[in-house]
Amino acid sequence: MSEQVNEQDILDLEISEADEHSTVERCLTFESGELILYISTRYIIEIINGHSITTLPLVPHYVKGIINLRGQVLPVVDLQLRMGKGETASTGKNCVIVLDIDSVSLGIMVDSVRQVVDIDLKNVRPIPLKRQQKLLDGMVNMEDGNVFMSVDCKALISTEDL
Amino acid sequence: MDNGMESMLDTYLFETNSLLDQLDEMLVNDEKLGDFSSDDVNEIFRIMHTIKGSSAMMEFGSLSSIAHHIEDLFFYIRDKGIDSLGVQHKKELFNLMFRSEDCLRGQVEKVENGTPLDTDMDAFASEINDFLKKISNAEEDAPAAEAAPSGVSQTEAPVAVSAAAEHLPEDSSAVCFLHVFLEEGIGMENLRAYMIINALKECELDFRYYPENMESNPETCSMIIEDGFYMAFESEDMAAKASDMLPTQSYIRSYELVAIPQAAPEPAPVAESAQPSGEASGQAKAPEHKEGPKPPAKQAPAVQGPPAKQNLISVNLMKLDNLMNIVGEIVITESMVTSAPELNQLTRDAYDNFMKSARQLRKLTDDLQDIAMSLRMVPISGVFQKMNRIVRDMKQKLGKDVRLTLIGEDTEVDKTIVDSIQDPIMHMVRNAMDHGIEDDANERIHAGKSAQGEIILSASHTSNEVVISISDDGKGMNPEKLLAKARERGILTKPENEYTRKEALGLVMLPGFSTNQTVTEFSGRGVGMDVVKKNVESVGGTVSLTSEEGQGTTFLMKIPLTLAIMDGMKVTVGSSIFTIAIANIRQSFKILADEIILDESGNEMVERMGSFYPILRLHQFYGIETQVTELVDGILLWVETSDHSFCLFVDDLIGEQQVVVKPFPAFLTTFDLKNYGISGCTILGDGNISIILDIQGLHTAALETI
Repeated sequence: MSEQVNEQDILDLEISEADEHSTVERCLTFESGELILYISTRYIIEIINGHSITTLPLVPHYVKGIINLRGQVLPVVDLQLRMGKGETASTGKNCVIVLDIDSVSLGIMVDSVRQVVDIDLKNVRPIPLKRQQKLLDGMVNMEDGNVFMSVDCKALISTEDL
Repeated sequence: MDNGMESMLDTYLFETNSLLDQLDEMLVNDEKLGDFSSDDVNEIFRIMHTIKGSSAMMEFGSLSSIAHHIEDLFFYIRDKGIDSLGVQHKKELFNLMFRSEDCLRGQVEKVENGTPLDTDMDAFASEINDFLKKISNAEEDAPAAEAAPSGVSQTEAPVAVSAAAEHLPEDSSAVCFLHVFLEEGIGMENLRAYMIINALKECELDFRYYPENMESNPETCSMIIEDGFYMAFESEDMAAKASDMLPTQSYIRSYELVAIPQAAPEPAPVAESAQPSGEASGQAKAPEHKEGPKPPAKQAPAVQGPPAKQNLISVNLMKLDNLMNIVGEIVITESMVTSAPELNQLTRDAYDNFMKSARQLRKLTDDLQDIAMSLRMVPISGVFQKMNRIVRDMKQKLGKDVRLTLIGEDTEVDKTIVDSIQDPIMHMVRNAMDHGIEDDANERIHAGKSAQGEIILSASHTSNEVVISISDDGKGMNPEKLLAKARERGILTKPENEYTRKEALGLVMLPGFSTNQTVTEFSGRGVGMDVVKKNVESVGGTVSLTSEEGQGTTFLMKIPLTLAIMDGMKVTVGSSIFTIAIANIRQSFKILADEIILDESGNEMVERMGSFYPILRLHQFYGIETQVTELVDGILLWVETSDHSFCLFVDDLIGEQQVVVKPFPAFLTTFDLKNYGISGCTILGDGNISIILDIQGLHTAALETI
């Protein structure tokens, strides 16, 4: 009983830091490797496409390379490769989402971008299965029956355990 | 508010450090002559006065208390004239001053690091006071109590008050003055004072105020902090009215009404303190003695200070870095625009017009780039001057007679480079003092040299490098001894007799090599020259040395002028474009199949100018797909760094270009690319990215592990 109360307190605290009024957060949904994923819009700078990527030697295969984003050098990660799947296929719809996670800039390459939705954090459940990749940290059932999964941005920029 | 404090602290540190630097330079120069000039005494007094004031404002008690005591000391010296001191006293004074400088620096450092300051400065303060007593007792006619402070704990008492009183502005028609002190630490004191004056003037009061130019001259700020400001009235009624008004104004700590002493030899200010706080009554106390006019404290700085200051502003280095970045971008973007393929669709006339404007733009961006670069350049004299002090200290400790000659102090170098070469230079000067110069002057005389040793520190420019040399005329190095020592340490990598003279001397720069048997305060820990080498290489420079036994040793540092922009050669490997610093390239050539030499394990080598060099296939090392896999099809680049030389195999050369070096984004630093010879990247004119290779790192990663 007391544990539950504590958890509730902690949750409340986190939410009040993120948003004082509600537990709803605006998130961008996108597709990658047949999954529908979302990332909070506060990490997202912009969505770009059509940039030529300069490959880098000696980096893990999921690091596609670097691009020149108006004079800034931006590293790009293939999200599908990062999740341990095959390379993101070139469909003409794929694009790079530019993120700023704790002042680390990073682009992630995804299959396509869907839309911005409001997700109530109260409905987010942990992923039940013990999965190999720890990149996703939550899932949510939407009213239309779709299941969205949350990308853990902190895990995205950490390169440990790889 | 926090921000305001931060920037105030920055300003304080900058100011105090430059004052201490100035003090240091002055002391070293004066000590050489063995005497203080009276200008310098005034200057030291002024420096201490400023440090005292600003430290008190920032509430750094220890700093302000030391500065205060030195100020007292120099007040006395200035009063009596420096010539009144005996030779012995002067010598002691120099030592005392150097120690106080160190003490102040120590405290400032603590402020910089955010550690708490020492609270107990009494020991040092009483030392200064003891000295002051000593010289004042030595004086035949023991001076009045005024100058020799009787109590250690005295605060502002005689000096400040008498200074304040004698500062009554010259205004013959004024009957009385209102002397106003502002609260401490409010900032922009001159403007606040001016606002108060304006407010009073609006109430139809007629008066003049001093310092007269306070609204336009920020220099008056410190005067107002120290001595307050004055309003001169022609009638006492008016003054009384004004003093009634003053309590309605903000930021006023205290004020007093001072009547003009009508031709009386002794000034008797009428103290009418409205807010009788402790400070106010202290300030209002009439000065007790006053024999003849003394040079007012502020006169010297007023003459020397302003012209230098108004032409200089201090800028945060970060802003300059940002400026540099943007200018770099502009240069690149400009060439992107002018070489855009869409331009070909223009008609001929339109194209000509466009190119005309484009050329003009180019000229302007070039100028902009030059100016932005020059902003970061600072003369190297700051670093050199510090060496004076080191030589001086070591001279005393080691008992060696050495003079330091500085050449080319005004050579300008990028600020980051100046910061990173200070330690190496200091280390080499110490080495030269400690190991280079003979311990015994007789030894020098026997060798036909003058008894006084000499260390020459010189800096000069070549087209894109700064060359700094540190040479001594001491005993020099003996290659055999170095080899023996290296054998003892077990750091030889090949048979002893295969070492050339140059290589043997180079042993000094290996980690763990120290020729001194005992560890001294200054050197001998064996972390010396290898650290120097590393530091210099971290800014892209090289260190080399030459030494003749019995003649001395010379260290030569060559450092690129700037890190931000370099001349690069673009090469292709597969679809990647790499950039290699032109400075590292000796030659590029094609070879024939029969020129390739293999060793027993199949490593490829090639002969150039009588020596053999290993070949590093870049596509293999980095695992890049390419069509060009036969050595005869591609190009070999003969590259070298300070001590390694080898050949790089690439597909093709594209051409030469000036590039702006960009570090890799934060995310990529975890992959440790630097250790694999990739030092950064650059954006090419067409918007593509090229990877910059670091030849030294490449050699370490690729060839030393074979």
